[in-house]
Amino acid sequence: MNPETSKPPAAGSGIQETATTPGSVPGLQAEADLLKAGALQSAIFNSANFSSIATDAKGVIQIFNVGAERMLGYAAADVMNKITPADISDPRELIARAEALSVELGTPITPGFEALVFKASRGIEDIYELTYIRKDGSRFPAVVSVTALRDDQNAIIGYLLIGTDNTARKQIEEDRKTLDQHLRDQQFYTRSLLEASIDALMTTDPRGIITDVNQQMEALTACTRDELIGSPVKTYFTDPARAEESIKRVLSEKKITNYELTARARDGRETVVSYNATTFYDRDRKLQGVFAAARDITDRKKTEEALLALKNDLENRVQQRTAELEAANKELEAFSYSVSHDLRAPLRAIDGFSRKVVVGYGDKLDDEGRRQLQVVRDNAQKMGNLIDDLLAFSHIGRREIALQSLDMDAMVKGVADELRAAESQRAIEFAFSPLPRAPGDAAMLRQVWVNLLGNAVKFSRQRKLAHIEIGGSEEGGEVQYWVKDDGAGFDMRYADKLFGVFQRLHRQDEFEGTGVGLAIAQRILHRHNGRIWGEGKPDGGATFRFALPLPAPDDHLSQGRTS
Amino acid sequence: MNANDQELQILLVEDNPADAELTMDALRESGLVNTVQWVKDGVEALDVLFGHGATSAAESHRLRLILLDLRLPRVDGVEVLRAVRADQRTRRLPVVVLTSSREESDLVRAYDLGANSYLVKPVESEEFMKAVGELGLYWMLLNKLPGEAK
Repeated sequence: MNPETSKPPAAGSGIQETATTPGSVPGLQAEADLLKAGALQSAIFNSANFSSIATDAKGVIQIFNVGAERMLGYAAADVMNKITPADISDPRELIARAEALSVELGTPITPGFEALVFKASRGIEDIYELTYIRKDGSRFPAVVSVTALRDDQNAIIGYLLIGTDNTARKQIEEDRKTLDQHLRDQQFYTRSLLEASIDALMTTDPRGIITDVNQQMEALTACTRDELIGSPVKTYFTDPARAEESIKRVLSEKKITNYELTARARDGRETVVSYNATTFYDRDRKLQGVFAAARDITDRKKTEEALLALKNDLENRVQQRTAELEAANKELEAFSYSVSHDLRAPLRAIDGFSRKVVVGYGDKLDDEGRRQLQVVRDNAQKMGNLIDDLLAFSHIGRREIALQSLDMDAMVKGVADELRAAESQRAIEFAFSPLPRAPGDAAMLRQVWVNLLGNAVKFSRQRKLAHIEIGGSEEGGEVQYWVKDDGAGFDMRYADKLFGVFQRLHRQDEFEGTGVGLAIAQRILHRHNGRIWGEGKPDGGATFRFALPLPAPDDHLSQGRTS
Repeated sequence: MNANDQELQILLVEDNPADAELTMDALRESGLVNTVQWVKDGVEALDVLFGHGATSAAESHRLRLILLDLRLPRVDGVEVLRAVRADQRTRRLPVVVLTSSREESDLVRAYDLGANSYLVKPVESEEFMKAVGELGLYWMLLNKLPGEAK
């Protein structure tokens, strides 16, 4: 608006009847001004979107335009010369406004119309929000601009209140407030999530520049959040190239997991971390950066290293023990070779030369001399047998076991036939019941049967007709076999000596033998993870049982495999 | 030694004098005594076999059988066997290992190197006499060498 025309005409144009004093407007300029003022006036008063309310100096409404009528629901006639704008304003707001102005301006102001126009009356431009009350009692927020209308002497003759309905703006403001609150809530939530993590978390932009961190990240690096944000992530690791590589890999593969890095704090402290990271995007799927979590795995690392050290130590020890065992085995082999070879030679000489004496000089000896030479020869022979059995016993421990499914029926009958042939002068009745198959080393298990059946035959030789029963059954994941005779038996008090090397429960002149047979049988069964035991009573026969473990049902490979 | 012994037909390689004597007793009882030469270790054995040029046993074709102990001082029986099989003149010569050892490894090695037979010396003297006597008779009388089958 033209500042030249705005003041005096505005003062005049505010009031249709009283303010227009034609005599006071000089010449043509005044005419034009009036014309202009008239146009302006009608534009203002006919605006439907602005409420224009003019009052006299006391506040009584003189003009109530179309906009006011529309907004407030009153017809101009309802209010003109009847009420003041204070009567259609929220009274509590008026009280509050009066109090505030009283304090602000240091003068008591009454909570009525004065409160609405006091500032304007002092020439202060006043625009404020207030709540208008419609005719139907409903309320709406309005922004009101208040101007004092003055006459030529600058005396206040009235006020003009131009208002707009502020409902829409208010709503937008409310919405924004709600949105802002929501945003703050979201931020708080996100931040809480970040801070609640036990891992050090950070986000970086696609170049690897840190954009956010949590407190754990600050602790990990001994740097503050402000120091961290904006710096390249790689600088906080002992191997920057590898750290940078990790970002590149995330970008190309979208994520990486369990990437091990060592973080180095400002104070030099190093922490081994397992690093998991993914890329993240905005709603338009535009890459925003990398979200990374670094978990402290120092303890796990230490445990792993300790375990590794333990494992290596154990391996070393096993190697050492194996070497020791191998050495011991070699020594044992050398020893048994020596026994086998060197101990027999002198025995052969003793026997051979005793015989030579008998053959060459027999006629010069009497019966007693020949008997004594025979004792020499018998003992040489016995020692030979002891050496052979001892060697056989030590062989069991060294031989490899070739497991296969054994046809025990055929094996036992074969052994029994041989024994019968060797003892053809004896009457022996073998009773076989069907035997289950079992996994074992054929040669070794045959030896067990030979020794057990051999004993049964030997110790039953005082019977006119000896009875030997052989049986077997499968139970509880193992197969048991037994050999029962009706021979000399043994005293159970000495049962613990049955399986000892060179241990015998019978005198040599009753039953010959070296006392190695059952020890060999037991050793063979132990090598098969089996067991053997015996029961008997003097002159009441003996029963020997042995058990072989069956392979687990799903262990198909254990049969026919060398162990 | 004994390079002039035209009767040489069995070479007995045995370090134990008692075993050697009993072996020769057994061969004598089988009627083969005049044909045996006894050496006490592998060095002597190689010397008799290859050491005298034209007069060596290998050269003179007077040998039908070697009775070889395995454990010998200096050069052992295995080395002697290897040398015998490596030489064109003796590679088909019957070699019977006569030893105290029942070790599986010794048996395998002896046969791998081409031994014709392996006899564990029995401790019992009657068995010993019988075994060595039969062995001598078999290899000296029954067995045929190349060129003898007619």
